[in-house]
Amino acid sequence: MSALGDILHLLLTANLWQAALAAAVLLLLPALGGVISERSGVVNIAMEGMMLTGAFFSVVADLAWHNPWLATLVAIIAGGLMATIHAVVSIQFRADQIVSGIAINIFAAGLTVFLINRIYGLQDVGHVGPTEGLPYIDVHGLDQIPFFGQVLFNQNVVVYIALIVLVATHIILFRTRLGLRIRAVGEHPQAADTAGLNVFAVRYSAVITSGLLSGLSGAFLAIGISNTFVPNMTDGRGYIALAAMIFGKWTPFGAFIACLIFGVGQAVYDNNSIIHVSPYLLSMLPYILTLVVLAGVVGRSTPPAADGLPYVPGSE
Amino acid sequence: MPLGSVLFAFVVGALILVVTGANPLDAYSGLLCGGLGLGCTQGENPALELSNTIVFTIPLITTGVAVALPFRAGLFNIGAEGQMLAGAVACTAIGIKFADLPTIVLLPMVLLGGMAAGALWAGIAGVLKATVGAHEVVTTIMLNYVAQWLIRFLIVGGPLELTSGTSKSHPIGAGARLATLLPSDNTLTVFGLPASVYRVHVGLFIALAAAAVFAFLLWRTSFGYEIRAVGQSQKAARYAGVSVRRTIILTMLIAGAFSGLAGAIQISGIDHNLTDKYFSDTTGFDAIAVALLGLGSATGIVLAALLFGALHSGGAIMQSDAGISSNLVLVLQALILFSIAANFIGAIRRGLPFGRGVTPTLPTELPPAAGLMSEAAAPPPEKT
Amino acid sequence: MGHKRLRFLGVVAAAMVFSLACGGTSGGGTPAKTYKIGLVTDIGGLNDKSFNHLADVGLEKAKTDFKVQGDVKESKSGDDYIPNLTDFAQKKYDLVIGVGFLMQEAVGTVSGQFPNIHFAIIDGAGTDSKGNDLKHPNVVSLYFKEQDAGAMVGAMAGWLEKNGKAKKNQHTIGAVGGISIPPVNHYIAGYKWAAKMEDPMIHVLVGYSNNFTDPAKCSGVAQSQINQGADVLFQVAGGCGLGVLQSAGKAGVYSVGVDADQKDADPSVIASALKKVDVATYTAIQNVVNNQFQGGALTFSIANEGAGYSVDNFDLPADLKTELDKIQSQIKSGALTPPADIPA
Repeated sequence: MSALGDILHLLLTANLWQAALAAAVLLLLPALGGVISERSGVVNIAMEGMMLTGAFFSVVADLAWHNPWLATLVAIIAGGLMATIHAVVSIQFRADQIVSGIAINIFAAGLTVFLINRIYGLQDVGHVGPTEGLPYIDVHGLDQIPFFGQVLFNQNVVVYIALIVLVATHIILFRTRLGLRIRAVGEHPQAADTAGLNVFAVRYSAVITSGLLSGLSGAFLAIGISNTFVPNMTDGRGYIALAAMIFGKWTPFGAFIACLIFGVGQAVYDNNSIIHVSPYLLSMLPYILTLVVLAGVVGRSTPPAADGLPYVPGSE
Repeated sequence: MPLGSVLFAFVVGALILVVTGANPLDAYSGLLCGGLGLGCTQGENPALELSNTIVFTIPLITTGVAVALPFRAGLFNIGAEGQMLAGAVACTAIGIKFADLPTIVLLPMVLLGGMAAGALWAGIAGVLKATVGAHEVVTTIMLNYVAQWLIRFLIVGGPLELTSGTSKSHPIGAGARLATLLPSDNTLTVFGLPASVYRVHVGLFIALAAAAVFAFLLWRTSFGYEIRAVGQSQKAARYAGVSVRRTIILTMLIAGAFSGLAGAIQISGIDHNLTDKYFSDTTGFDAIAVALLGLGSATGIVLAALLFGALHSGGAIMQSDAGISSNLVLVLQALILFSIAANFIGAIRRGLPFGRGVTPTLPTELPPAAGLMSEAAAPPPEKT
Repeated sequence: MGHKRLRFLGVVAAAMVFSLACGGTSGGGTPAKTYKIGLVTDIGGLNDKSFNHLADVGLEKAKTDFKVQGDVKESKSGDDYIPNLTDFAQKKYDLVIGVGFLMQEAVGTVSGQFPNIHFAIIDGAGTDSKGNDLKHPNVVSLYFKEQDAGAMVGAMAGWLEKNGKAKKNQHTIGAVGGISIPPVNHYIAGYKWAAKMEDPMIHVLVGYSNNFTDPAKCSGVAQSQINQGADVLFQVAGGCGLGVLQSAGKAGVYSVGVDADQKDADPSVIASALKKVDVATYTAIQNVVNNQFQGGALTFSIANEGAGYSVDNFDLPADLKTELDKIQSQIKSGALTPPADIPA
């Protein structure tokens, strides 16, 4: 099959990996948020809604103030606020975390379009000028390294941030006392409480962090890669991020590899003007791969023990 | 309590409207008119609005049941959407392939075919859950997406496409169609409009029957007892001699059959062909709210489905009459979900808005699924 | 925001002057009646940055020009088409407009139930479930020759390549479609055809994002085409396609907008292929107001200024201007006919 040969050839190009990394980062940020949240014992399927909210408010803020950094901050806060709702409902009120997550996603989809209507009337959302988006940065010198220079050092600023967040998340989760606490709260909240940890505080911080990261990803999507808001522009990425988190067995680097696999799939598809792949069958691929992983073909994928359980002080 | 949740959602929704400079009274009177045909001021036909609401309600009942039944077994079926799509695909494929068969043969074939396809789709999640412990929330989300893309594959340049570029399937045969209650006649006038505008079809009775079957199965059969036992505690159920694994798989199969039936009824009763609209359909997600709000009882589910059908139908009237985006309906729906899940009303009534001091019991309104995750994470049941 | 709106309406108004000479006595006599117009969007909604939005622009314009009450219903799912159309029809609106070819069957059904109500449908006809046009006399189909608009921008791209006036000049250009469906492929057909006519050596890359709402998806396809040497990129993917314009801008190559004038979307936009859904909507309303409604089909093309192109952030060389004017007049006269299907 020549198509297969073409794909293999593509996989050797820096262009492909550059695009794949950018696509992966859009998924990585919410996926890392999911890892942190679920490691603390709060199931989070609300990344989609948090990301969409972040995307919307980044554009609103950028159009108002013409400052991408401020807009990104607004997006991060907006994502964090959505996460706070999830935290209050599922930690404080001990609601079913999945129901709360679904509600956040529906809420975000409805609210963003409703607000477009209230803010911009029947007009379209405007466009962010080219200098008002999140910038692409060539790391001079390093970008001259063959292959890796283009892939790693010729990217949007958010890609660098995401890679730093990736390493930081790994170190914090597995090399620090804070990480130990997060994991303890996610595995044995009762024991953690007995040991003097504030289970609620840890879970709140973890869930809100997931919102901040999802909001950042939304800003990357809206004012980094695009320059405007389109209703439902996140297009299910929050759910693919969820898949990546599971695929990666609730570890930061595992999630990253999963995101990269999905990113490569997207980048290969992007070449459909030269290689003809069925877009529909390819679009199914991340989901089918995740099902295969869940089926145990590539080893068991086990969530943290107390994932999804509301913590009730004093209970056993 | 569910009424409290709905009330809570409408109050918060009104606040959002006021904050964004819209008049909640206009919005809600639009919803009321469009939803139930009450208090219409701008020439809407109440019978038509009610008829539309019922049309929207039919699939919500059947998928609502498909979410509510697994709830009782401690399973969270987020996959009603994908199962419904699978049912729609099977119904369409059979209805096209055997288009010439008479109603008495073809109609049962398409409905049962839809149920089988839905059961298969849900069964994948059930088997994965029962054998390797894969969480059904995640597997059903993945299966939803697979079903969506399957539809695009089939009707955009795929094997079911009518003709190139139409993005829809061939129509199903006349024998595969469910009859409407009123004759589909443009010349007969009913309530001032042609009879054919009232699209309520026989699927309504099938949906109501499905709700009745659900209640009977759950409360009057030994299998229903097993479902509830597994939902209360897998450990206790195992001690009582219930096969948890078998119960999980069977429950998902039955739930999938209900969802698949919903898809088949939509094709058979309303659309008669598979179109791109199924790609962005959300009935199976609305069903989650229906199941939660209906407290898992047959009557509750029917009433909750009616509420969401009314909201859906009312949104459009609200938009054209009051100029308020119909997306408000989504906001209200999310608020209802938050409110049921968090039991805000209960917390407020107990005067204990925040968690630490609340008595350590889960809200009774919540289905037993609320506690399922621990067992989901545990090693799969029944190692044998 | 306000001035952008005005400028946009200005463009529309300019188009009207050319296209609506046949309109007759629109100002003459004062119609005592307020005409009620109902617009039903498809699931893209009003903020789709594509034809739903343009249809609303046309409605708004009609509201300022005539005594018109315009109401809009956004369809949240495909299940809403029939109820939304029916509600307007049973309220005896003077014209009910359905936007988009996904609504064909719904318009076919409802127009049969309300033979005394006028319907218009963008990009389609009122059909039965087999896709046959029911030819109801109360339905006017508003079709567009997207290939005409595509041909103009394709000719522009081809000329730039042939004369070495583009950015890379590797005789390669690209088009990014949303999904491979007729309204998208008509544009691409005209684009490819005209580009080849101008520059026989040209290689036209055609890709699809499989999406209409997510700019990042289109951005990826655009980037791939840029990597293949394309230096003029034509987006035919609605909101998703904004990612094409943005990617072209970042890579320092040219891009071409679609449907509306997208000059504001990115500085890289040198031209836009115009499908004047706003003009069509306005025309349909105007015909009703002037009591000139006629069932059948209206086709909007270069010949009646219902399709065309705009030159955006680009100084058009005089030679190119001459060439484009020539092609435009040849299409107008029928001497040239851009194909509706993408040529090999």
